[in-house]
Amino acid sequence: MHVRYRCELIIERMAAPRACRILEEAGLTGYTVLPAISGLGRQARWNRDTDISASSDMVVVVSIGAQDQIEAALKEIESLLSNHIGVLSIGEVKVLRPDRF
Amino acid sequence: MDIALATLLSPIVLFFLLGLGAALLRSQMTIPEAFAKGLAIYLMMSIGLKGGVEISKGQLGWDAGLVMMSAVGLSFLLPVIAFALLRLTTRLDRIDAAAAAAHYGSISIVTFVAAGQAIAAAGLEAAGYLVAVAALMEVPAIISALVIANRGGVSSEVVAGSDKGELAREVLLNASVVVLLGALVIGWITGEAGMQSVAPFFVTPFQGVLCLFLLDMGLSAGRGLRNGWRQLGPGTIAFGVYMPLVSALLATGVAALNAMPAGDAALLITLAASASYIAVPAAMRLAMPKARPSIYLTLSLGITFPFNLILGLPLYIWLAKMVSAGVA
Repeated sequence: MHVRYRCELIIERMAAPRACRILEEAGLTGYTVLPAISGLGRQARWNRDTDISASSDMVVVVSIGAQDQIEAALKEIESLLSNHIGVLSIGEVKVLRPDRF
Repeated sequence: MDIALATLLSPIVLFFLLGLGAALLRSQMTIPEAFAKGLAIYLMMSIGLKGGVEISKGQLGWDAGLVMMSAVGLSFLLPVIAFALLRLTTRLDRIDAAAAAAHYGSISIVTFVAAGQAIAAAGLEAAGYLVAVAALMEVPAIISALVIANRGGVSSEVVAGSDKGELAREVLLNASVVVLLGALVIGWITGEAGMQSVAPFFVTPFQGVLCLFLLDMGLSAGRGLRNGWRQLGPGTIAFGVYMPLVSALLATGVAALNAMPAGDAALLITLAASASYIAVPAAMRLAMPKARPSIYLTLSLGITFPFNLILGLPLYIWLAKMVSAGVA
């Protein structure tokens, strides 16, 4: 097993393409975008059902990569999160096939 | 009074109220998201086609062009008035006020559809080109709001990861604009004969589909109101009710200047009085991400949309009849 870093970004759907662009430019070779259903943030409760435009829907962007790749993305993601609603967490994970990340 | 009662007791309004009540009572009922999006596209295709067919009968003259230009001008102007009123009467900051103002210059296509049903019930007819007016009024308000926000220097910074064309694509190629204008052109090209071939799908079930969609709108409005009402002060809530009336009065003036028939005037007044909750919120998330969606979505969908549907429509039809009588 090999150590890699997993970046999990919960972010509003409209900003997800911006986040994915940052990950790609940092050299991460892949990511997955998952839909989020509902939650409670600093400002308000949110729920997929309440917004017919789907513009305030949230998604989760998950990406696994080497430490230098994740660090390269961090500054830009921090800047993105100063404008858009979102939460970023990073954790150590173990992967079977290190050449893929 | 008869129009007000007929509107209030119409199936679409009653289904809306059913959804609204269910959501406020915390019912777990939901309409699947993808299905609701499909219904919205169906409704836009249907009214676009019907409008295109009417235009194919030769309705598009200079008069229509003048109405279109006036409507675009109104859509540019309304956010400026809305912004000034929000800043004067509420505690919203510049960015929240600009984002909310954009919603009041743009339009609600569902309110437009409901107005179409209400004017038919009132024995009036409307020209098909009003669908094109609806599509044209989607965008200018967004530009006005961006100008207002930029004057305060609040939306000029480049957001990390943003792409140059993304806002233009979202504003000009959003589903409402593409489907409405696309269906309008298709209806114009294929005419009455083309409409006959798709009528069993786009005409006969229209009322039932509209009821289903309004049920979902009621659920969305109710849940939005339940989650977001704490974010709105009394001044902001009051704005959600009086701003449509201000817009309606301005549009009544435009209708009088253009000597519009009552049915057409009623639709123009409704368009001006309605607030967007599909195209503009998406554009605002890209252009003004620091604006709070809990403010502008609750305001447009939770306050203004129910107000227009339940109380506004009869009033707008009455205003249109007054204008038409005055012109005649």
